[in-house]
Order: sequence, then structure tokens, then C-alpha cells
Amino acid sequence: MRKFVALALIQLMFVAACGGGGGYGGGGGSPPPPPPPMQTIATPGPPNVETLTVDAGPANGVNQPFVSVKVCAPATTNCKTIDHVWLDSGSSGLRILASVLSAAPALTLPPETNGVIPLAECQKFVDGSTWGTLAVADMQLPVSGETASNLNVQVIGDPTYPVPADCTPPIETTVMTFGANGILGVGPFIQDCGSACVSTVIAGTYYSCPTPGSACTGTMASLAQQVQNPVSVFVTDNNGVIVELPSVGSAGMTTVSGSVVFGIGTRTNNALGTATVLPADKTNAFITATYKGTVYINGYVDSGSTGNFFTDSSFSACASPNAGFYCPASTMNETATLKGTSSSTLTANFSVANATTLFATTSYSAFSNLGGPISDPKALDLGLPFYYGHNVFTAIENANTPGGIGPYFAY
Amino acid sequence: MKLTRCVVCSIVLAATVAAPAFAALGGDGTSVQADLAKLKGGLRLTSTAAFTVHEITTSDGTVVREYVSPSDKVFAVSWRGPFIPDLRQMLGSYYGQYVQAASAPHTGHRHLAIQQPGLVMQSSGRMRAFFGRAWVPGLLPQNFSVDDIN
Repeated sequence: MRKFVALALIQLMFVAACGGGGGYGGGGGSPPPPPPPMQTIATPGPPNVETLTVDAGPANGVNQPFVSVKVCAPATTNCKTIDHVWLDSGSSGLRILASVLSAAPALTLPPETNGVIPLAECQKFVDGSTWGTLAVADMQLPVSGETASNLNVQVIGDPTYPVPADCTPPIETTVMTFGANGILGVGPFIQDCGSACVSTVIAGTYYSCPTPGSACTGTMASLAQQVQNPVSVFVTDNNGVIVELPSVGSAGMTTVSGSVVFGIGTRTNNALGTATVLPADKTNAFITATYKGTVYINGYVDSGSTGNFFTDSSFSACASPNAGFYCPASTMNETATLKGTSSSTLTANFSVANATTLFATTSYSAFSNLGGPISDPKALDLGLPFYYGHNVFTAIENANTPGGIGPYFAY
Repeated sequence: MKLTRCVVCSIVLAATVAAPAFAALGGDGTSVQADLAKLKGGLRLTSTAAFTVHEITTSDGTVVREYVSPSDKVFAVSWRGPFIPDLRQMLGSYYGQYVQAASAPHTGHRHLAIQQPGLVMQSSGRMRAFFGRAWVPGLLPQNFSVDDIN
């Protein structure tokens, strides 16, 4: 408790101090980024602000923002609060590790069925897949009290059914391999799959599982049967989220405390204010990013990315085991211009420091200047480092907001 | 009308799981021709002197490309779209190597890079929008730039 109060105070100090600009710690020859605009971080509490914490988490990661989530068997007081659930604006749906649910005191959730037969899901992430049964839960966020009733959730690594052959390994079934106790996907889409899975059986997505211990069969899944973005299930404040994290200095920090605010323009604490809206593509939620004269049509802003990932041949990747990040000789200050489907543009300034040097301080888990290569020659991914010092809005598809209909990003 | 054809495609795919529906990395290009005959429609061929690209739009909307050398070997594959394809089919005999390398400790769910003497694989993206590519360095045609695997 004492620690929390101390962090909250530091956060208030950040608010008071911002606008002064950062030191010119660069040396890469490019000018320093201009000072960020004044940032105000909403205080966690009812009815719509949840505590968001960046720390090393259960798997000693970097740049992972976590929330705690209370999960209950529907319409009961049989509940369990789970810490270190990864807040991800690049996916949709709540997924909890089976091993976390079954740890004492165990919580058993009723299976989700297609009316008769239990359903399961393979959710492919880039580095592997999660496999597990679908269950129904009431989700409550412990600080704000925001509630999603009868939510379809995935129970990752539930051993009831064998992993199907078309669910691509490695299958991440443990807290260590998954990197968190669960994931809370609050991205731009209402469901994880959407209309594609409604009328066609898509390999490696949804399955019906008639017999425990026996193979499941690929199945179509209606929108109501799919794993849903919990925010879209809220009664109010259900049109999007704002991730609000304070600035992080060039060396990094052990822990960062901020907020995730639910709803856009639904209350005084979640107004768009001076933020500029970048409408995203309805199919894939991409925006366009222009960097050093090259246009990247697959641009996105994503709290679930641990770095800013972009293509630049002037950067070298770090040596193993940090080859997924850049290791410049000196810190470089870079700029991208973001544009949605409207004419509005936003400037995104970011710094890239030597990741191996940053990681040498092993107690630090939050870094604002972590960058890395991206395999997609059309993509530019502004991840959690970009969120530090910005309040970043993600509006959900088809949802009405004062800034227009989602999906969009804004800051 | 197109939808109907895609449903047929997916049935064909489901029925041919035992024999890969796509020519896999390291496999023969000729098997692609046979698969294409079955799949119909979804295929586009682009040829240069140095290599041929077989582009297949799968029933779920993901575009899969196979890069075939003049000696008729699939030296690279790529995918772009809402779903990651079945990597067992895509990577063929290199699949085990991929699984082993991808199982190494790493951080994050958005980017994967495997760099080994016999296999390079890069994958990125987020829900509903994925891209990935893999190639065998020893099979690349002369003067081929991997930037062309897109």
C-alpha cells in the first residue's frame, strides 16, 4: 500500500513537471524531439479508471503493461482476482492461463458451448499459439469496478482436449512461455476473429470438442460465440480505451504506474480534448506511417508491442540474445508522421537507444527508447515505448464517439 | 459466386491435409502446379528470369506466396493477411527446425525472428493482420535479394 501511494505521488509530480522538455541526451546528429504536450493522467478509481503497472511481471519481461482482473463464475460470488494480466490494444478478448485459474483457491468456470458441444480455440500470435477451451465468466476490474457479464474467455493451456494439428506450435501453455498470467485484449475489434469465422471453418481458429480427451473438430463460430473485447461488453464506457502512462527517462525505470481509462468522451475524465483522431482501416485497423520518406501502409500503435519496430538499414540489430532490438552506437532521435483515412496527421517522435546497454540494468523493466527491426516491409509498429508520456486512445470498431466512429487511434 | 468457390477450396484443403496443399519450403515447384489444378482460381503466377512466384489467395483471405527457383525448388515462402497459415504446410521439412527455434525464450507476442544457417524466418503482426516470410539461404538464386520476398 505504501509503495502504491509513493508511486501515485511520483505520478502526480510527473504531471506537474511535464512540458519542460527532456534533456538533449542524443548525439545521433538529429535534433531532439520537441517537449511533449502537457499530459494529465486520470486517477485510478470508480467508475472507469483502472490501475496500469509496467513491471517485470511473472516472466521478467520488458515494457509489459499489466492490470489485475477479477474473474467470477457467472452470477456467483465465486471469484478470483488475477494479477499481471497483460493489457493489449493489439488483440481482443480476455485469456487466462488454466494453471492460474486452477491454483489454490481454484476457480472453475462453466464451459462455453455452441448450445450443446463445448467450444475451444487456437489463437495464433506471431511467436506461437494459445490453445484452450472457451469458458463463460463475469469479469470485474477491481479498481474501477467496470464489469463485463457473461463474457466468453479463453482458458489457455486447459489440458481437457489435445492440441489440434493445425494449431501452430510452439503452444504457449505456461505463465513463463506466455509471459503473463493472462491477456486483456482491448484492441480496435469487437471479436478476435469477427465475420470471417461466422460462415467458414477457418483452420486454426475455433473448434467444437464433443469428448474430453478426444480430438476437437474445426468449426464456425457466430459473433456471439466468439471471444469478445471485454470493453465492448461493458454497459457504459464501452466505445474504447485510453492508455495513460507517464514519461520514462532515457535510462529506463524499474516500475511505471499509470491508468487505463474506459470510454471515450463518455465522462469528463475521458474527453478527446486536443487529441487528433486518425481513423483506421476497418478491416485491419492499420494507419499509414511515413518514416524517412518511405510510406508504410501497415502502421499501428500497440500497447502489446514491447518496442517501436520499424525498418531502417542505418540501424544494426543487437547481438544475441537481444537480436530482436536495435543497438545503435549512440541514441538516435527519430520521427514518423502518422495518417489515418482522413487528412489529419500526427507527428510521432521516438528515440532509439542501445538495447543491450539498457538491459544491463537488470532491475529495469520500462524503457522509452527501445526499438527493433520489423519483418513486414510495409509495417511500422509504435509499441509501448511510444505510450510513455502520451495518452493514447483506441476506439472500437462501429462504436460512436465524439471523435467519430471507430476504429481509430488518437493522441 | 466467389464465396462459393472459396468454400469449395476449403473443402479441398481439408481433404488434402495428409499431402500438403501448398508446395512447402524446400519442395519441388512442380507439386505447386498439381495443387493449383485442384485449388483453381486463387492462383497467380509471376515469372522473372531468376525466379517464379506462385501466389495463392486462401479461402480465409490470406495471400500465400511461394518463390520457386529455375531449378524448381521452393526457396522462400511468405504470407500476408488476416490469419497465419498452417506453418506445417508452409515450412515442410523445415518445420521441426522452426518449432525448436521458436521455442527459445523471447519477449513479446508481436515479432519473431529466426536466423540460422539453414533457415531464416521472420514473422510479425497482430490480430487480423499478419505477415511472415521464410527462406533457405542455401537455395536462394544468384543475385536474389531477400527484400523481394514480400
